[in-house]
Amino acid sequence: MSIAVPTGGAVAAPPPPEPEPLAANYLNNGYSIWSWLFTVDHKRIGILYLVSISVFFALGGLFAALVRTNLLSPTGAILSEDAYNRAFTAHGVLMLFFFLIPAVPGVFGNFFIPMMIGAKDLAFPKLNLASWYVFMIGGACAGWAVLVGGIDTGWTLYPPYSSRASQAAVVPGVLGAFISGFSSIMTGLNIMVTIHKMRAPGMTWGRLPLFAWALYATSLIQLLATPVVAITLVLLMAERMMGIGIFDPSIGGDPVLFQHLFWFYSHPAVYIMILPGMGVVSEILTCFSRKNIFGYTAVAWSSAGIAVVGFLLWAHHMFVAGISFYAAMLFSLLSMLVAVPSAIKMFNWTATLYRGSITFHAPMLLSIGFLVLFTIGGLTGLFLATLGTDIHLHDTYFVVAHFHFVMVGGMVLAYMAAVHFWWPKMTGRMYSDFWSRLASVVIIIGFFFTFIPQFVAGYYGMPRRYPNYPAELQWLNVMSTAGSSVLGLGYLMPAIYLPLSFFTGRRAPANPWSATGLEWQTPSPPHVFNFETTPVVVCGPYEYSLGVDQQGRTLPPPPNETNAEPDAQKEAHGG
Amino acid sequence: MANAHASPVLKHHFEDLGQQHACERLGMWMFLATEILFFGGLFAAYTIYRMLYPHEFEIASSFMNRQIATVNTVFLITSSLTMTLAIRCAKLGDRAGLIRNLILTVALGTAFMVMKGFEYAHEFHENLAPGKMFRTEYEKATKAVAGLAPAAADEYFKADAAKPEHERAHAHWAAELALKNKASADEVVDSGKVQMFLCFYFVMTGIHGIHIVVGLGLILWLVYEAATGGIPPENYSTVEVVSLYWHLVDAIWLFLMPLLYLAGAGMHH
Amino acid sequence: MNSFDYWLPFFPERASTLANHFEALFWYIAITSGTVWLGVYAAIFYFCVRYRRSVSPGPTPRILGSHKLELAWTIVPLFVFLSYFGWGLVVYNYAVHPPEDSMEVFVIGKQWMWKAQYPDGHRVIIGGNPRNMSENERNSIGKLVLPIHRPTRVTITSEDVIHDFGIPAFRSKMDALPGRYTTAWYMPTKLGEYHIFCDQYCGTWHSLMVGKVKVVTGEEFDQWLAGHAPLQGTENAVDGSPASAGQQLFLKLQCINCHSANAQGRAPVLEGLYGQRVPLRGGGGEIADDHYIMESIRRPRAKVADGWEAIMPAYDESQVSAEQLNQLVAYIRSLKKGTTPVSNQRFPAPNGAPTERTTPKASGGGN
Repeated sequence: MSIAVPTGGAVAAPPPPEPEPLAANYLNNGYSIWSWLFTVDHKRIGILYLVSISVFFALGGLFAALVRTNLLSPTGAILSEDAYNRAFTAHGVLMLFFFLIPAVPGVFGNFFIPMMIGAKDLAFPKLNLASWYVFMIGGACAGWAVLVGGIDTGWTLYPPYSSRASQAAVVPGVLGAFISGFSSIMTGLNIMVTIHKMRAPGMTWGRLPLFAWALYATSLIQLLATPVVAITLVLLMAERMMGIGIFDPSIGGDPVLFQHLFWFYSHPAVYIMILPGMGVVSEILTCFSRKNIFGYTAVAWSSAGIAVVGFLLWAHHMFVAGISFYAAMLFSLLSMLVAVPSAIKMFNWTATLYRGSITFHAPMLLSIGFLVLFTIGGLTGLFLATLGTDIHLHDTYFVVAHFHFVMVGGMVLAYMAAVHFWWPKMTGRMYSDFWSRLASVVIIIGFFFTFIPQFVAGYYGMPRRYPNYPAELQWLNVMSTAGSSVLGLGYLMPAIYLPLSFFTGRRAPANPWSATGLEWQTPSPPHVFNFETTPVVVCGPYEYSLGVDQQGRTLPPPPNETNAEPDAQKEAHGG
Repeated sequence: MANAHASPVLKHHFEDLGQQHACERLGMWMFLATEILFFGGLFAAYTIYRMLYPHEFEIASSFMNRQIATVNTVFLITSSLTMTLAIRCAKLGDRAGLIRNLILTVALGTAFMVMKGFEYAHEFHENLAPGKMFRTEYEKATKAVAGLAPAAADEYFKADAAKPEHERAHAHWAAELALKNKASADEVVDSGKVQMFLCFYFVMTGIHGIHIVVGLGLILWLVYEAATGGIPPENYSTVEVVSLYWHLVDAIWLFLMPLLYLAGAGMHH
Repeated sequence: MNSFDYWLPFFPERASTLANHFEALFWYIAITSGTVWLGVYAAIFYFCVRYRRSVSPGPTPRILGSHKLELAWTIVPLFVFLSYFGWGLVVYNYAVHPPEDSMEVFVIGKQWMWKAQYPDGHRVIIGGNPRNMSENERNSIGKLVLPIHRPTRVTITSEDVIHDFGIPAFRSKMDALPGRYTTAWYMPTKLGEYHIFCDQYCGTWHSLMVGKVKVVTGEEFDQWLAGHAPLQGTENAVDGSPASAGQQLFLKLQCINCHSANAQGRAPVLEGLYGQRVPLRGGGGEIADDHYIMESIRRPRAKVADGWEAIMPAYDESQVSAEQLNQLVAYIRSLKKGTTPVSNQRFPAPNGAPTERTTPKASGGGN
């Protein structure tokens, strides 16, 4: 990548003066509820998403707590079988469609993509607001389904059970997921067009932050995969409501066709969930080790590679569903291919730490936790992609543990890392350094103890979605539930200290982490239109070793090891 | 902002009109990609079943109304023409021409929907819809000729068809299916799989119809915009963008039509 | 002998040949990937300690990457993963291709129990929630008894929604689909009782759709099988399956009158016909598949078996609906040697049905 600044290290020029805290920023630009609900400012929309997905996360977590508590006893501790089935379905639907898929694109994609590329907003601000409303309508539908007793089909909705046998409110739940899919498409479309057409002068593709590459790849998947599940859900609703039996064996239909169509989306969907998190990790690891990313091109292209190859793997969820031997062979082989770009990223991230200068603030702790936990999740995926082992491990707790490792140990951790990294920019406040580091550790440890026992249980053959299980596996379930209480505690902590930062946190400088991205070149919180003048980009992201940001200006001193505010900045703020 | 005075159509977050138009066009093409994937799922499912049950799908397709489909095709293709002419008018600043062509497009699209309405009404009247309607009509026909030899059954249905419409006991398709399943007929026809075709027919044409209606709404909005001066020659990209959508809906029909209406074209009917 | 004590041994029970294959593959993957995983952890840990801010204050070197390393850690993992794929394929191939001489057991899943039928027609209900069952079913709850060291193939289907017949100790499972048959097979290697689970969510009592498989010695098995008289009228066709409905039709429509077990009768014996090549009158031959059987019922004159007269009457849609046709096909598919039922006087012939005669009714028009 090219660079127009003389090499010479961080002492070449003094850093530019700290921008004055703005009298008018995006947060105080109107306080009424209408100024929020009718905003077209991408930053406010990001905050709207932040609030709503936090609510869905809490709800989904509540159902998870019900599930884990019930599993304390081999015959169900607190719920009937029916209630348990509805609980795990609600947990899955809420967490997947209403938290994991919209989280990073909806909150941080909306907020920071325009800022990272030097634009004033996303390409279609009104579409952006519409996407949030569509999301909320979908959430309301799904919420309605939960309120009238829930659905009990599992989030995977396989017919004939979901189209015929289930007595639950399947259609409202499916409708909720269907509607929220449109929100996903809108966000993806918006982000892609923005990255294509609205980059600031000098911001070439090769100088894009990896977060932007990751979100671009995510948006590609959102755009192309979501419509397929949309039509699949329409067909399911048609069969359930009107008897149009496309999956009905009695008129020649095939329930396995549903599985193909469903997984054609739902497998790429897991990459929608994880790719943004990988982008976040790239941003944070570089900043807190003060080093360039190792292998920028490899990491950028591996995101694109995962997005593309991820479309070719769907039937690895169906190895024992009655597909042909040759189909199984093909999908297993392709599934092995997608593991390679993920491995490449892992190695590149690890190499980024080499000869760095590392501090362990909360974003960094969470990102390292991501590296640790996502590795396990990714490697256990290999057992499932391998045909011979999948026969035994399919539909057991091994699968449950695998996907929780990648989605919670991976994605939720990355989401938390993003929140902690960008909180000062979004709110203009710093949170407690001590409590955030403690919470990160608690989350990682709690997570570990929740899900490692589940690998063992699955290896022993404990099936998923079982409220009743063999008594000899109880000790594993108890350990898992104990771990989940610790995990829950860990999530509770940021729910306290983050809002508290509005009252007790000190004001954040423009660039508390001394990061290179364009979004840090604005005051915290940013101006309504992001930049006073359009920035001009002269070098790639992550030039930490040279001590310059993307506009070629010297970076402020980085935060020191023990707290987040370096002495120089402390003095500038008067303590 | 100084820009606003120079060009009232420039939106605040864009640097210039060029960027704005480029974004609008790219955005619409991306949206079209999602529509292709949306219908793609349906086409894929249809293809799978057609390959599995070619005979039943041919027969079922021969029951569809090819005449209405042809007329509808002409309507849609012409509407794409008028839509393109509308763009040209917008480019040239010919507001009257723009509005005229947009209204023509709406008219043709509406004609399409009206014909489709007649088509559906006729099919419901004949009980040619999947589920209970199909089953009862079909069972009625098979029961009526249960004990008869194929030739006698043929006579019976011919006599029934010759009656005036309100006196006929059987739909022509039910008669044909019942006859085919008599011993002397060519091959066994599984009536369930004929129903499967109908499932696809209604879902595919139904969803396509919804897209047409949405398109009509968008074009009517364009008419309003044009009439109130919102489409000057330097900013006609809204017309372009809606026309892209309309062309796609037309193109989807061009694929839909042969698959649903011409699959059984070789059969006597 | 119960294989599950409260204190689990480190490895779960291995009770079939597939289980042994599984363990070898599983631990190969675990050890190879685990080694790399621990290596990566070691690197991360070491870097975090060695390069923490207090001992490595910076400035940091501007390292952008290394083509050699990228190539290395692309190619090497790719080959390792391909080795997993290759070995996995071998094991899968073993798991899905039953040996020729397997004993066939039919397994039907329905909400929320399993029903198994042995080749001699002996039926057993495996597991399930007794609260869901009829009196009869409750009385026949048992276990899937299998002989050790002999291959057994299960042919699985479902009566309602998708289920999955899974036996962890055998490291095997396969979905049960309505309207289709799937197969799995086992070669048990250890005596004992092992869990059977339903491994595809199927509704309220999915977790109670569980039972036991009991592996016994060969002699014990033969005795057990012989000790039970097959229930009358249900040879080879488990109640509720399409094949059993087909058997009812076979009797009701009087097919049994001509297609009896008597090879010198009026019509070919149908036992074991399915899948065989049938020589046709006038030369040529055809494999007796679904289509052939359907055509033989609808238009019997089209292809007459060599050596037989063209006397079978045709059955049109009013006499045999498409669904009934499927059931007849399923039944004839399941008809094994020695299992043609005895003609049963309980079903009087319906009006117009052919009875014992050698000439067809006048059906107007040649075929």
